[in-house]
Parts: sequence; structure tokens; C-alpha cells
Amino acid sequence: MREPALRVFAGEYNEATHQVGGEGEKEPSYILTPLGAMVNRLFIVGVLTDVENVSAEGDMWRAHVSDPTGIYAVYAGQYQPEAAAFLAEADTPSYVAITGKARGYEPEPDVLFVSVRPEVIWEVDSQLRDYWILETSRHTRQRIEAVEEARRMNPPSRARLTEIGYPPALATGVVTALQAYPDVDLEHYRFLLREALSHFSAGKISTSQEIDEAEEAVLALVRDCEGDDGALWDEIVERGEEQKLERTLVEEALTSLMDKGLVYEPILGKLKTT
Amino acid sequence: MDSIVDDVMTSLGDEVSRDQVKKKLQTFLDYGVPLDQARQAVLKKFGAGSAPAGLTTKKLAEVQPGDRRLQVTGKIVAIEKWDVEVRGEQRTIFRGLIGDDTEVLPFTAWKDFGLQSGDVVTLKNAYANEWSGQARLNISEWTEVSPAEVSIQLAERTPQRFKVIDLRPGLSNVEVKGKVLSLEEREVTVDGDSKKVYTGLLGDPSGKIQYNAWHDFGLQENEVIQVSGAYTKSWRGTPQLVFDERATVKKLDEKIATEDIAQRPVSLYKVVEGGGGVDIIMEGSVIEIQSGSGLIERCPQCNRAIRDGICVIDGEVTGQPDLRIKAVVDDGTGAVTAILDREMTEQMMEKTMEDYRRLAREQGEEAVDREIQQRLMAHPIRVTGNALADDYGVTVIVRDATLIMPDIAAESQRLLEELEVTE
Repeated sequence: MREPALRVFAGEYNEATHQVGGEGEKEPSYILTPLGAMVNRLFIVGVLTDVENVSAEGDMWRAHVSDPTGIYAVYAGQYQPEAAAFLAEADTPSYVAITGKARGYEPEPDVLFVSVRPEVIWEVDSQLRDYWILETSRHTRQRIEAVEEARRMNPPSRARLTEIGYPPALATGVVTALQAYPDVDLEHYRFLLREALSHFSAGKISTSQEIDEAEEAVLALVRDCEGDDGALWDEIVERGEEQKLERTLVEEALTSLMDKGLVYEPILGKLKTT
Repeated sequence: MDSIVDDVMTSLGDEVSRDQVKKKLQTFLDYGVPLDQARQAVLKKFGAGSAPAGLTTKKLAEVQPGDRRLQVTGKIVAIEKWDVEVRGEQRTIFRGLIGDDTEVLPFTAWKDFGLQSGDVVTLKNAYANEWSGQARLNISEWTEVSPAEVSIQLAERTPQRFKVIDLRPGLSNVEVKGKVLSLEEREVTVDGDSKKVYTGLLGDPSGKIQYNAWHDFGLQENEVIQVSGAYTKSWRGTPQLVFDERATVKKLDEKIATEDIAQRPVSLYKVVEGGGGVDIIMEGSVIEIQSGSGLIERCPQCNRAIRDGICVIDGEVTGQPDLRIKAVVDDGTGAVTAILDREMTEQMMEKTMEDYRRLAREQGEEAVDREIQQRLMAHPIRVTGNALADDYGVTVIVRDATLIMPDIAAESQRLLEELEVTE
């Protein structure tokens, strides 16, 4: 059976630290997100912000695709010739749609770097990107609600979740996720969801004086620390705290700056201004 | 201690007294033998050769998914041979129903035990897993199957109620309510006998399904009926509802308007898990245009799509031009391959096949593929048609297709407001 292409914001996908399945030869493997999405394939529409050739032989491309909550790392090599050719020629910024496979790289236990290996990549218009945000918001909300429901059960039951109408794959994912991520902070994901939806009422959230100021301050911090290699994420957060900026506010500001394309993440955990 | 004795007693049956067991167990314990080993030793001592140590005897109603080392006695209610692929290997297994006076459960026998419908057997060392929300017994090569000399009064099972869309192949004792949308009487030959069968479509607000009635229930078109004790199977890639004289059909004094039947789109995971279906409305985004879309050639003899003028069946032929789209439609819960024929493709693209042949002559066939992708990729679409399931997935023969686009700003505003309310 073909695996469905899940709609998961980068802000949720990148938080995944667990993989499940993939034990038997034919058993598919999944990236398990804190909200219980079991991602084998995903469909994303976002802004292609940068493309870089990362192999000496010149046949591995790394791209970043941004959505309102974060940034996906996308890798295409010789086994994805069409996607690689597309990336090699692509303009940045531009709106792209990607159907791709979820990849996880686990250099050590409990550390997981997730990325996307495109199967199909195509340039689209802003309306299709907006539709994707709406659709992905709906799916994210469903997962938040499913986690809430499951938490009310003792013990969380897959059968009970499907009984009240959640798709079986989600029910399995949520029950597994509650064990893998016992401390998942739903408030964080509700915030992320509001962020994504506020995208349409452009300016509403960013008119908030506080965030505007934080963004300015944080952008200055990144400029200060970036040097040639980029600024460490943690360093920015620490310096922010020294300036009495709360950690969450700094992180929000960074996300928002990346969203606006003012800051990008050349490698995971490092930040540069554009 | 007492619970261990209970456990041992269950395995041994009434052959020895409880006191004997307790005394023997105590002796082992007095010698400093660990409890678990002592239990094993006692079982061996009292010649529990008939039952491997640690078997739990249960009535079928008590069987839970996850139970191991079960001993149950029941009557085979139905059994069917299946050819399946297990880890790349072809195997023959048997599926059916086994019942006692408390419950009727589905089972899978992983080898041929020569079981027949009506046999009453004791299964030693069976296990149970979960299948579609209930326990299913598994009879493996480590299970001992022996005839039992008891008569069994089967439990009256309350039929399980389903909406039409939730019916998938392989269900038994189903209850479903719907409107008879069409009705056809046919004469068929079964084992040399001529039989009448009544077939057609049954529908409710959730969906439509084909039915086969092997008994004259006096069905009428447009009436609303409630069928109890039906079962389902897969027929030509879609689920089929089957009922015979063992089922009951109640004619209900209610109406379901035709425009209320199967008007809502169905989540794609339901279409995939439900084993396809007839006349289903589906919505999702086009996430891939498969190769073999655009201008193609067909064999004039067998109508198969051909490549480079060679048909796999008929060899070298002069291909007939055709136009089609094979699009993967995915709603995030499931995926189907939607096939748009020439007429549907022309309607969707607002161009004729001749337009595309001209374009292909002028700019190459890639130009045609590009136009199709440009119009459909990532776009939400609504398709209606028959969904056919096989081992590889679900294919939809599209009867109607429309690109859709909601008012995104309004919808997201609503979602945002709902979020505020629920918190």
C-alpha cells in the first residue's frame, strides 16, 4: 500500500526525536513527531529559500524550504535526478511543492536530524501555498486534539481513539508518541498553529510591539555573533536572556525572522543573516 | 502461593485434588526450589502431559487481544482457505469463525489442521491478537488441535451495526440500514443448481455498496431496509454485502432522499482500508502525476497502453492515440490513484486531444506533460467514481472531477476562532 503524504509543519516535524518501524525488510519506517504523526512520506508547500551544492562531486543538493513555523531541510542526490536538476536551476525565493520521503539521521541516541528526500518537486503559486497552510493547520489541530483525548484515557487506547473517529494510523501514532514524548507541551503546538494561521491576517501578530522589538534585537544579535560560520542558536538565546528577553520570545523572533527570510540556518543549529 | 495453586489447577483440570497440589508445591518450596520452577515441577509430577505448563483455559468471551498460551474449546462456524504472502513467501492459511456458548470469534489457522465447519475442537496453546477492534484467535504450528466430545450451543451474537462506508471485505454478522438504489434479478448456477440472486446498490448518507441477496426478500427499489446477519466480501475490487435466508431483512417505514445519499467526501484512509467502493466522492491534493499520463498510444486490438508501437500481448501494432491523466490524490490520511480518461482530461484541461497533439508536434510531448502538471500539481481536487482495491493500492476510475479552492482567509479565520474557543 502507498504510504499517505502527511501534512506536518516544519515546527512539528523538526521536533521529532524518535523513529519507529523499519525492522522487517518490508516494514516501512516512520519519523514519529511529538503529536503522533507517523511520517513516512510528506507533502509540503513552502518557500524555497536557498539551495547549495554540498558534495565535492557536485551531485548532492541541500535546500531549505520555509513554512510559517520553521524550515525543512531537503536533500536530493544522484538517485533523485529530477529533483536534483530542479534544485540546481531553481530561483530563490520561490514557492515549491514537494512530495518526499521522511529521512532521519541519528548520530547518537536521542539525537535525530530529520530531513526530506524529494520524490517530486514543482514550482507553484502563492495560493497553493496558502491552501497548504490551511490544510496542514487542520491536520495539526486534529493531532493536538487526539493527544488531548488520549491523555484523558487511562491508559491511552488506540481502539478507543479510532472509536471516537480518529484515523487508525493517527491513533497508533498518538498512543506511541505519548510514551516516546511523555512531556509534550501542547501549548507550544497551539502557539505554532496560531502562528501559522495568523499568516493570513498578515501583520496582526507582528504589529505586536513586543515581538517587533524582539525581532530587531535578535537580528542585531545574530549579526553580532555570526562571523563566517554563523551564530550558534543557543548562544543567541543566551545573549537574549542577558538582555532580559525571554527564551520563548527569542525563539519566536528567530522563527519569524527565518520566515521573513532575514535569517537562515545554513547548517542545523547555526544561524546567519541573509 | 494460592494463585500459583489456582494456576496449576486450571492446567490440570479435575484429575488431582487441590490439597495434593498444594502439599506437593509446599514440599518443593521447602527444599528451596524457586516458586516458578516449583510450579513447573508440580505440573510435570501430576502428569500434565495433556496440557503444556501454564495454559490458561478461557471461554471465548474472555479472550483478550495479547493473550498467550490459551486453551479454548469451540465449534468451527465457518472456515475459508486464503493464499497470502508472508515475508515474501506464498502460504496457504485458513480463516474463519469459532464459537462457544459465550462468543463467536474470528480465527486464523497458520497451517492446515483439516478443520471443517461444524467440528468441535479443543485448542491448546493458541494465542490472540487484535483484528478490527476485537480479539482474533491464532492457531499456529505450536497449537495442539484435538476433537472435543462436547456439544456446543452457539452464543447468539448481536450483529454489529455499520454505516455503509465502514463496510469492508471480511466482516460477518453485520447489521446495516440503507435505501435500495437499484435492483436486478438474475439466474445463476451454483453447484449445478439454478438459483435466483437479487443484486444492486444499497445506499445511506455515508456511501453506497453493492449487495447480493441469495433469497427472495421481496425487495423493492427505493425502499429503506435494515439487514441483520449479513456478511461482506471483496468482489472485483470493491466490498460487497451478501445476505441469504439466515439473515433478516426488515422493511422500514422511513425515507432517505436520493440527494442525501453519499454526498459527502470520504476520507481517503477509509477508502483504502475499506477495500474500495462504488460511486465515492473523494477530496485531496494532487501530489504526483504518474508516468503514462498525457498523450499515449493504445493497442488497436486489446486497448492496452503501449510504448514505441509494441504491445506486450499483440506485438508490433499501429497505436491509436489517446489522452489520460494518472494522478495521485492524497488527503494526508490516504492516497489513491485517480485515472482521468480522455473525456475527463479534456474537460479538466479545457483543451482537446487534438490541441495536445499539435502542441506535442510543435514543442515535444514534455510540453503536454508540463501543462498537465502546472494545472494539477499541489492543487486540491474533488473526484467521484468507483474505487477499486488490489494488493498495490486503490485506483479510482474518475467519473467526475473538479478543481476546488475554498475561501482560504475565511476558513483560516474560522479555524483560528475555534482555537480560541476551545481553550
